[in-house]
Amino acid sequence: MSSLFKDYRDIVERLKKEIGSENLVGYEIPRPRRIWFSVRREKLIDAIAYLVGEGFVHLSTITGLEGENGLEVIYHLNKKGLEASLKVEVPVKNPVLPTITPIVPGAILYEREVHELLGVVFSGHPNLSPLILPEDWPEGVYPLRKEWTHEEIKKKLLRRT
Amino acid sequence: MSSIIKIPFGPQHPSFKEPENFMFKVDGEYVVDVTPRIGYAHRGIEKALENRTYIQDLYLVERICGICSHAHTTCYTQAVEEALEVDVPPRAKYIRTIVTELERIHNHYYWLGIVAHEIGFETLFMYTWRDREIVMDLLELLSGNRVQYAMNMIGGVRRDITPEISSEIMKGVTVLGERMEYHKRICSDERTILTRSVNVGVLKTKDAISHCAVGPTLRASNVKRDVRADDPYAAYDEIPFNVVTYDGCDVASRIATRCDEVIESVEIIRYALEHLPTGSIEVIVSRVVPQAEVVSRVEAPRGENIHYLRSNGTDKPTRYKVRAPTLANLTALCKMLIGGYIADIPIVIAGIDPCFCCMDRLIFVDVNNDETWDWKGEKLRRYGIKWYKKQ
Repeated sequence: MSSLFKDYRDIVERLKKEIGSENLVGYEIPRPRRIWFSVRREKLIDAIAYLVGEGFVHLSTITGLEGENGLEVIYHLNKKGLEASLKVEVPVKNPVLPTITPIVPGAILYEREVHELLGVVFSGHPNLSPLILPEDWPEGVYPLRKEWTHEEIKKKLLRRT
Repeated sequence: MSSIIKIPFGPQHPSFKEPENFMFKVDGEYVVDVTPRIGYAHRGIEKALENRTYIQDLYLVERICGICSHAHTTCYTQAVEEALEVDVPPRAKYIRTIVTELERIHNHYYWLGIVAHEIGFETLFMYTWRDREIVMDLLELLSGNRVQYAMNMIGGVRRDITPEISSEIMKGVTVLGERMEYHKRICSDERTILTRSVNVGVLKTKDAISHCAVGPTLRASNVKRDVRADDPYAAYDEIPFNVVTYDGCDVASRIATRCDEVIESVEIIRYALEHLPTGSIEVIVSRVVPQAEVVSRVEAPRGENIHYLRSNGTDKPTRYKVRAPTLANLTALCKMLIGGYIADIPIVIAGIDPCFCCMDRLIFVDVNNDETWDWKGEKLRRYGIKWYKKQ
């Protein structure tokens, strides 16, 4: 088991070297086949490009959420069962991230989903038009943000009609 | 002279979890571009999960999908159990595996019937759906339900497998395996099927990887990737099985992959029943989940299913994210459709195993002549069959 975790730590070390240790905010290896990274958003593209080059070619999905310190976007990449989740924090006031679609074409719908439900803008994305919510959904209502409770969304939708 | 015609495709249909709408651009008989628009059945489940307790969420997760409900609850219970740091008894793990595989058999038989129907081979459709009744009966015997089996609980499973049920399942899956051998032979010799499936909806290996396809769609493009083998859960680390791959990259390979997967599933179930450990089937767990962040994956019949959980020390999650396999295959599906014939649209879409009745209604709009005509999905299916007869 320890040798297995050593391989994982090597990946972490190489990533650190690639993006600079000050840009790797933290990492965690909770169990076999799981690694969590946290990187600064300025280095997101470098980190993704490095991991894809390392063999993490399958993007399982992108999770967006609102935590205690603002928005978070998590990229779940996979290499032969080893799931590397790369986390970036995004400020609520300026929720902009670069798109990863030039590196991973399969990210196209996942980025649109995060954009629509949490209002994170992926700059450079070819098409951020609505994907999931109705066409007449009010602008600025991002249902997965904590401020938009079911009651608030309902009020907003009723006011509209 | 060529003119590009835009065709909106979908979205209404009542029976599936993901109705989709595709905007096609066609040039004569060829599809030149396609844009998907989903969300017609968006029920806000992820938001709802945040507002309910873990026990209530189990019931909601069960209802994400009508066919692979067990795959979703397995993924969910695994995530919550990992956050709780609970180990499930081995017997429960084996029972989960058995239900997972019965569900896979159910799904693949169902899918093969749909594929047969799309290409106008109604006899095969009737045969596969008749055989599917066997697995539906087994699932009812085991869980009490034909669909939405509700077998999983946080910390184990709800019902045990008695020796009588075990022998019934053994008998049933043997028949299902033999029948699938027969269907597989039909699918690899029968001209009607070969004409409509060989070199249709091609997804090259490199595109399958870069577009992050999953499940049988990916394995039919010759990529050996299966969550059961790569990231074992339940009892898969103790059960020997083969990951089926084909290198045709077309609908014919997708058919062959799924036929072989059913035969593998039969072997898995047989092994699991023979080696079923003794002991309890559940552990009692706390209703409050400590702070944790977990990624849980399972191989649903249609492909990799991934759930993400962030818990906060209360009885409700901060965030619960679900990504079902159809969404993962949607980008790859668009890739398959481009360059193909209009007549192949139904079979290629059915080929990834999404909601087949998406094609409920079509409107063809000729942008140059302002011409519009309506096509029901049924009419497109007939058009496809007729078009191929003329060739």
